[in-house]
Amino acid sequence: MSKVKPVNHAKAAEAFLEDAPHLTFHDERLWDMRQKRDQQMHLLPEWQDLRTRASEIKEHTLANLPEYLEQFEANAKKNGIHVHWAADAAEHNRIVGEILEKHNAKSLIKSKSMVTEECDMRAYLEPRGVTVTETDLGERIQQLDDQMPSHIVVPAVHKLVPDVAKIFAKNYHTDPDEKSPQALAESQRMAARPVILSADAGMTGGNFLVAETGTFVVCTNEGNADLSSTVPNLHIATLGIERIVPRMADLGVFVRLLSRSALGSPITQYTTHFRGPQKGGEMHIVLVDNGRSARLGMEEFWTSLKCIRCGACMNTCPVYRRSGGLSYGAVYSGPIGAIIDPTFNERKYSTLPFASTMNGSCTNVCPVKINIHEQLYKWRRVLAEHHELPFVKREIMHMAGRLMGQPTLYRTAINGTEVALSTLPRFVLYNWLNPWGKHRELPHPVKQTFHSWYKENRLKKGKAQ
Amino acid sequence: MSSRDKVLATLRANRPDPAAHPLPPVAVFGDMDKGRERFENALQLLGGQILLRQEGDTLATAIARRFPDAHVICSAVPDFEGSIRIEDVESPQQAAATDVLVVRAPFGIAETGSIFLSEAQLNSLNSAAHLTQHIVVILSEHNVTANMHTAYLERPEFHTANYGVLMTGPSATADIQGVLIRGAQGVRSLSIWWE
Repeated sequence: MSKVKPVNHAKAAEAFLEDAPHLTFHDERLWDMRQKRDQQMHLLPEWQDLRTRASEIKEHTLANLPEYLEQFEANAKKNGIHVHWAADAAEHNRIVGEILEKHNAKSLIKSKSMVTEECDMRAYLEPRGVTVTETDLGERIQQLDDQMPSHIVVPAVHKLVPDVAKIFAKNYHTDPDEKSPQALAESQRMAARPVILSADAGMTGGNFLVAETGTFVVCTNEGNADLSSTVPNLHIATLGIERIVPRMADLGVFVRLLSRSALGSPITQYTTHFRGPQKGGEMHIVLVDNGRSARLGMEEFWTSLKCIRCGACMNTCPVYRRSGGLSYGAVYSGPIGAIIDPTFNERKYSTLPFASTMNGSCTNVCPVKINIHEQLYKWRRVLAEHHELPFVKREIMHMAGRLMGQPTLYRTAINGTEVALSTLPRFVLYNWLNPWGKHRELPHPVKQTFHSWYKENRLKKGKAQ
Repeated sequence: MSSRDKVLATLRANRPDPAAHPLPPVAVFGDMDKGRERFENALQLLGGQILLRQEGDTLATAIARRFPDAHVICSAVPDFEGSIRIEDVESPQQAAATDVLVVRAPFGIAETGSIFLSEAQLNSLNSAAHLTQHIVVILSEHNVTANMHTAYLERPEFHTANYGVLMTGPSATADIQGVLIRGAQGVRSLSIWWE
């Protein structure tokens, strides 16, 4: 694992920046979602109270996680749900595979679930003879295009209509030049319906677990999760262990925040509460750890487990909006991805905490008050201590440290910089040693530094008095 | 040691101090208006409709006017005929032929314009609510609660139903270039009939 190469986020982002139509749409679409979120926030005078309460509930629950999980398990079992525990991704996939095998289920329809992405479940099930069909439109587009979701709420947000038209033409034999998003969405509906009606099993993710009742809650918009869970008689749900809240009445706080933060709508079109199997059906739930219990022990990073996966931090982040989710090379992208991905693989995702301007906007919009930008900063320190910084960044930081630690050396260098900026040819200033200078102009040299001005004007006068 | 015990043991070893994070009281915030107007405004924001009642209208005439091309109208309520009763629909495959499903919701939420359905309203054929092309929901204004907090606090259904869905308008997606499309994979329209 130590040999794994770090994700080259900057390079991948560069490719994204080259494509003006995609970049512009991506940037504007996500900013529009951020603005719609703001409009909803302004309609609720209690918004900040909701955020505070959500954060308190989550922190309390995380501090009492073993007890609440045991309570959830007992109640869910009482209601006839089979409860499974998966320590890691491999165990999760094995559990799901075994349930399907027991029912001789060959066709699985599923709604969007970040945990199954995290476990790379499709890649495990398909060689074992299970056809997995994503039923969420965006997720289906990504599946057909063999890409990871680029956003946790809107998985295909980096694509334009012609991209979808091409993918659907290849798979659904529709017009490759189709220009109407309505027509494309309709072809997904028509293609999905027979698959849903003949599926052997259905699978969903979930947004919340309720300890008090053994309920899990799924919040969606397209209706595909409710179809996936109610049409087949076998329903498997998979959720991370951190998704739990103590009481049914706590859901009010989170449901009110979730879709408003995510899309700027007051609620998702479907908020579905599963408390037990439907008549004649069988229900399984897989509680997934996969690194979460270890993260709970990280003093500076455990609060990232409060995340309810709304994506507001992604929508507001200038780096995410201009680099696209795929450039992070990870299941979780954007600011929240940058602080949780290194807990999965510190070296592979060592570059991600640097994909930030540290403007703090992510923290300001987070509905559960995760101090995201502070954690980004703390990760940088941890990664530097663990020698996970790339060569140029490490050497420049090292030189800067020496320079700033010695005033005489610093002043000489600054004077030299002024001369250099005004006289050196471009190829010396703009090259691979200066990634800052890509897509940006270096500042104009100033005529005089503050220090030399102070020496001339104040210091001399001070002495004269 | 099972994975369950391993996970729980790690959580016990790693968790922050529970004493530093007490359980806050149940939240009841926000606007307590449970009026029809608030419900209707919220419903329409999410693409839901009101089935209009013209003079002399019954639910049957209003549905006939709103859905003139509907062949299969399935009734899940005792006081409306339809072309088929939900008790006679035997499978999801059969339910998929439904044009309009008529149900009665036990309650709605004014803040969001949501209505609640469970197996109790669907004769345990839960998929019928999502396979039908359109859904007409009968709702009484006496059964509208103010907001999400009051809904979870007051309504017993959340503690009794095995399957409980809050539906808010029709299914929708904006996954293709951000264009909002009503009628994604579930119902194409959701209409409220006040009683």
